[in-house]
Amino acid sequence: MAGVVGAFGYEVPLIVLLVALALVIGLLAVVSFHITISWSIYRSIVDDRRNRVRDGTREELLERLFVDDPGWEAWINELSSTERTVAESLLEEFLRELDGEDRTTLQGLGVALGLTDRARRRLEDGGEFERLDALTWLTLLGDPDPYLESEFEPKTPRERAAAVTLLSETDALEDTQEGVSILLADIEGQFTVFGQDTLYRVSLSDPAPLLSTARTEYRNWNEPLLAQVLAVCARLETSVGEEDLSWLTRALETQNEAIRAAAARALGSFGWRESVRDQAFLRRAVADPSPRVRGAVYEMLGAWGDRAALSVLLYALVSETHPRALERGTATLVEHRDRIDPETPAVLGDAWEWSLEHAEYDALARRGSKRVYS
Amino acid sequence: MVTVTAAFLTLLASFGVFVVGYYALINVGYLLLHVLALFELREKVRESRWNPPFRRFATPFYPGIGIVVPAYNEEATIVESVRSMLSLNYPEVEVVVVNDGSTDGTLARLAEAFDLEAVDAEIPFDVPAEEIHDVYRSRTYGGLVVLDKENGGKSDALNAGIWLTDMPLFCAVDADTIIDRDALLELARPFLQEPTTAVAAGGVIRVANGCRIEDGIVTDVSLPKTGLPGLQVMEYLRAFYSGRLGLNRVNGLILISGAFGLFRTEAVREIGGYRHDTITEDFDIVVRLHKYMTEQGREYTVDFVPEPVAWTEVPRKRRTLSRQRRRWYRGMVETIVTNRKMLFNPRYGRVGTGVLPFFVAAEALGPLIEGVGYVVIPVAWYFGALNLEFAAMFFLLTTGFGVFLSWFGVFSEVWSFNRYDSPWQVLRLLWYGVLENFGYRQWKTIVAWRGLLEYLGGVESWGVMERSGFSEDE
Repeated sequence: MAGVVGAFGYEVPLIVLLVALALVIGLLAVVSFHITISWSIYRSIVDDRRNRVRDGTREELLERLFVDDPGWEAWINELSSTERTVAESLLEEFLRELDGEDRTTLQGLGVALGLTDRARRRLEDGGEFERLDALTWLTLLGDPDPYLESEFEPKTPRERAAAVTLLSETDALEDTQEGVSILLADIEGQFTVFGQDTLYRVSLSDPAPLLSTARTEYRNWNEPLLAQVLAVCARLETSVGEEDLSWLTRALETQNEAIRAAAARALGSFGWRESVRDQAFLRRAVADPSPRVRGAVYEMLGAWGDRAALSVLLYALVSETHPRALERGTATLVEHRDRIDPETPAVLGDAWEWSLEHAEYDALARRGSKRVYS
Repeated sequence: MVTVTAAFLTLLASFGVFVVGYYALINVGYLLLHVLALFELREKVRESRWNPPFRRFATPFYPGIGIVVPAYNEEATIVESVRSMLSLNYPEVEVVVVNDGSTDGTLARLAEAFDLEAVDAEIPFDVPAEEIHDVYRSRTYGGLVVLDKENGGKSDALNAGIWLTDMPLFCAVDADTIIDRDALLELARPFLQEPTTAVAAGGVIRVANGCRIEDGIVTDVSLPKTGLPGLQVMEYLRAFYSGRLGLNRVNGLILISGAFGLFRTEAVREIGGYRHDTITEDFDIVVRLHKYMTEQGREYTVDFVPEPVAWTEVPRKRRTLSRQRRRWYRGMVETIVTNRKMLFNPRYGRVGTGVLPFFVAAEALGPLIEGVGYVVIPVAWYFGALNLEFAAMFFLLTTGFGVFLSWFGVFSEVWSFNRYDSPWQVLRLLWYGVLENFGYRQWKTIVAWRGLLEYLGGVESWGVMERSGFSEDE
């Protein structure tokens, strides 16, 4: 093996190059082997230790939970670091499940474990996931003060959702407007399911701030975020007073069919208002070029559910050419079959029969009784 | 004569240079992929360790999922599988079992266990599949639909299920796949975070051989007791925790396992569903989704989520494994040939210019070239054209690097989700990472060549999987 390899004016014997390469690969392999096996042994030892003390710690914790003075401080001082870690994980598990007085008593254990102070430090100095962990612990401990006293301002959608949940769960949220502002003001990116759920829960009792924010901001949002907000609106199903909903009807005319479909579903929950029922708007909506959007529009009409809406739906279905959209429409119409002329749906043919029979089976399975369709 | 010999020797030397260069490039590609995977895994692990303070199951935003289960002669396991799927932790699940012309008692077992009745109404839309004889609904389980159709193969059965489900997402699973209880909640996350763009998401497939399974749940994770399934555990770990995670980092995931993938129903219907004339429908569907979405100029994402896990039984016998891998190889070649216009085509973005060419070079051509190398080496030695020192060194280097990459995959598993929690099991996994280079890897090159020849010869059969069942001791 007498070859040489040349580059940039230098010549290196091939054997030297190969040996160097072999050394590098060998070193990488040895290092990865040692790290892997060392990490596995470490985790195994740690898990084993925790498992050994878990039952005892759980028993002691539960015993103290049901006495007048649990004496958390004294108990924590007696625990080893492993037992404290286990106590922390048990505390988290219980706080997520329990309510009322037991929860309040357990929150004292969190303070004794120093979790409030740790959360305070992490809010100031930690990375995103440390801050999220801090906000989560403060929520579980029902203590918003470290967050309110800190200079930390939530930036990412995850942080915003965690902060609003903390404030909302501890009754420290001034009003819905504050929650919506924290969640949506100058937001970049979009929510996780937790964020979407937070927006929903905070807007549930008072949707006006969300609708008002959406009306002015929706053009600035990226499409995934807009779709998420529309999905939240579709679930609100509550009175919105005189809020301007024209942004929703405009969203129904955007390019993106996913947005149009989401807008139709959102309108379904606000459709009791006459201003949304403009005939010209409805004509355009049921003639949408996308069968997916038309299907959502049919669901919207079904959600409105009164005679006028069902009449528009039936009329649209008679001329519907896409079998999948037709089936979506008949499935919606079947839910309101008691409000339409029993003879009329015959014009919808197989789709009606199909939807009707499946609705009967759904009802049968829910009731757990015998079949009623024949 | 001298000229012919000289030309032959030159050819051998050129081949040697080509092989060295080729493997250097491929291995650099793999290394890059593994490093990308590590970054991706770090992010996913941090994300998965944060448990936000809300009740996931109570949120109204999870989109409904239709679990499509193609079943052909599955009477032994189908009832247990369906029960397991009906009890998954997910707010809205519809299980669509497609009895694909079974000749055994699959349908009868289902009808008896779930109190099924045939629906009288005609299906009001065309379904691109073999004739559907009947659609059954359960009188007791609202979320169960059973289709009885003429046999048409797995793709055909999946299409029937996809066209019949009402759910916006569908999950394609094999009838004998065991899905972790919370897996769907995790797998649906990309569709919630990217509601306008997510079209597909894949989870991790792990090897069920050797694990304890009770009531359709994996209760104890262990390595298989025998070598061949053990080597496959190693392969699966490397494929999922390195390969797919790395590709996910560059939004270039082109393969979602047929045993556990979640898709937007409408998007798959738009591309006509699964192709009937392919034997690796899972690879084909993802490549076609990439192709279609790019051609339509639509923004889209295909995601890999590393924690939701589905468990599958892998072949224990070499003959069965060979059959499976030959089928995979034929399907891969077929999909690449069908979608060849994507190769090196900038119109298809990273998938066209980077991911697919690398995949072809590494997974399709790599084993073939390696196989040729094993033949050329003795020939070159016979003609005195082999530098034994160099050949030995090259073999050691490629083997050493292969071992390193395998160990990298094991490290990713231990560092992240650590399902194999005993160090002895980890040690065994590391050992498999070494062992696979001696015999198994060479055997796989023969399998690849046989797969190619079968493809060229027009073989289209699936072969029989010969499963022993999860409860049987190995």
